[in-house]
Amino acid sequence: MIVERPEIEDFLYREARLLDTQKFEEWFNLFTDDAIYWVPAGRDDIDPSRHVSIIHDDKTAMAKRIKRLRSGFAYAQDPQSRVHRLISNVELGAADDVDQTIEVSCMMLLIELSRHRQTLHSARCEFTLDRSSGDWRLRRKKVNLLRNGEVLENTPFLI
Amino acid sequence: MHPPINNLITRDAIHRSVYADKDIFDLEMERIFEKTWVFIGHSEEIREEGDYKTTYIGRHPIIVSRLADGGITALINRCRHRGPIVCQHELGNSKHFRCPYHSWTYNNAGRLIGVPMPQGYGRSFDKNALGLAKVPRVAQYQGFIFGCMSEDGPTLEEYLGGITKFLDAYVATSPTGKIELFEGMQKAGYNGNWKYQLENGVDPYHVGSLHASSVTQEAMLIYYQGAGCVIAMDGHGVTDHTDWGPMPVDAGLSGGFNLVIFPNLVVLRSQIRTIRPIAVDRTEIYTRVVKLQNVPEEVNLRRLRDQEFEFGAAGTFYTDDIEIFERTQEGLQSGAVDWLVFARGLDREEMRNGYMTGNMSDETQHRGMYQNWKKWMTGDASSSSAIGAE
Repeated sequence: MIVERPEIEDFLYREARLLDTQKFEEWFNLFTDDAIYWVPAGRDDIDPSRHVSIIHDDKTAMAKRIKRLRSGFAYAQDPQSRVHRLISNVELGAADDVDQTIEVSCMMLLIELSRHRQTLHSARCEFTLDRSSGDWRLRRKKVNLLRNGEVLENTPFLI
Repeated sequence: MHPPINNLITRDAIHRSVYADKDIFDLEMERIFEKTWVFIGHSEEIREEGDYKTTYIGRHPIIVSRLADGGITALINRCRHRGPIVCQHELGNSKHFRCPYHSWTYNNAGRLIGVPMPQGYGRSFDKNALGLAKVPRVAQYQGFIFGCMSEDGPTLEEYLGGITKFLDAYVATSPTGKIELFEGMQKAGYNGNWKYQLENGVDPYHVGSLHASSVTQEAMLIYYQGAGCVIAMDGHGVTDHTDWGPMPVDAGLSGGFNLVIFPNLVVLRSQIRTIRPIAVDRTEIYTRVVKLQNVPEEVNLRRLRDQEFEFGAAGTFYTDDIEIFERTQEGLQSGAVDWLVFARGLDREEMRNGYMTGNMSDETQHRGMYQNWKKWMTGDASSSSAIGAE
């Protein structure tokens, strides 16, 4: 499978921009039906069936999370957080020719503003990208927050 | 300057300084957190000999250890020489703790077992008198471990009172009668007073409103049509939905009960929440997720996934709770009106089974907790300070 680095970078930038601009439905549609959106707690390498996570959503849970954010009653997002994501250090990992998938990692600097408070998150993100249906889609998004073992301020936005 | 403590809690109202006055917070650390039984962990966290966890009782950093004889001890995490904490890990296993500053070393029962070049201290130096300070009383009930900084006062079971019955029922949800914990914790902080979490842990009235984005119609039926009740139980707060059946194994919203054990423990659904007061306007919440024994793996996994989705710093329910705690702290900066309304259900509450009991959306349980607060805050004349109960 031939994968061009710029197409992967474009995909990651787009994923970040969709979240920054609150295009949650478009973001949701980037994911395959069996996708997992995961933010581990405590450390990066936990087993999510034995250890608690900050977020561990399948697609059903993601849909519920977005529905809540759109409900008009998600008070922790009234007004919505403003978020900027910087994506860097993109590295292409192993590709699977049969599944048409590739592992990708990058660094993310996420700056969030809410309640007049600016919160900084640094994370190493891991993605499994899937091209089996033609376009690139996300089968897995894992966000390893630098502060995943710390006491977190309110985090009602999509990371 | 706040009014006298005695005047801060009336029959149906609470003075804003209870949440907003720094001097009140300082008094709480002394008169509540150094006098009552404070939750310091669950026995599952320190299962094996040498296991320890670190936590806090008010402002005191604490090490809770499992000793060789199976007993549990709680020590003040502070070197007796110059004061650094001697253990900086959340959880671990060790038979001794060494302060790296000058290598004073203690065993996990707190005894000072090593001092470099001890001859320099002269003949009067007594290592036996320089062990880590002990939390005077440690006791557990159904695996819930509490520490009390005071030698005197009620035993743990006396202190828990009727709540023991609910803790029995809570662990009985597990077919073996014993609960376990998932690894790791949800940790969230907010810029608000610690008592908002006490109120919120047993507050059915807010669920349909604040959680309108997340609560299901099915769950709301409990609150609007249920025969459940709220109880002021020996200074603690209970919302009891048990007319809808016992605590469900899936820990769903549609049954069971919520407990707030004064001053720092919340037990509800699949969670054990510890409240850590940091300042009058700063609080941290540490949550462990409860696992049942001898149930299908998918049942436990469902409990974990639901807990993550709804609670913790990114939870669909809990983020709105934290938001309102911070908004409350902001609002209470205003002294234009001093009093908050705690009158709901006053005209219809009644004694049932020896406890004042209200309808599901009433505030009987809150009034009970604040009468308890007042009792501890005014009860001990020996610790009155310059800003005491004048």
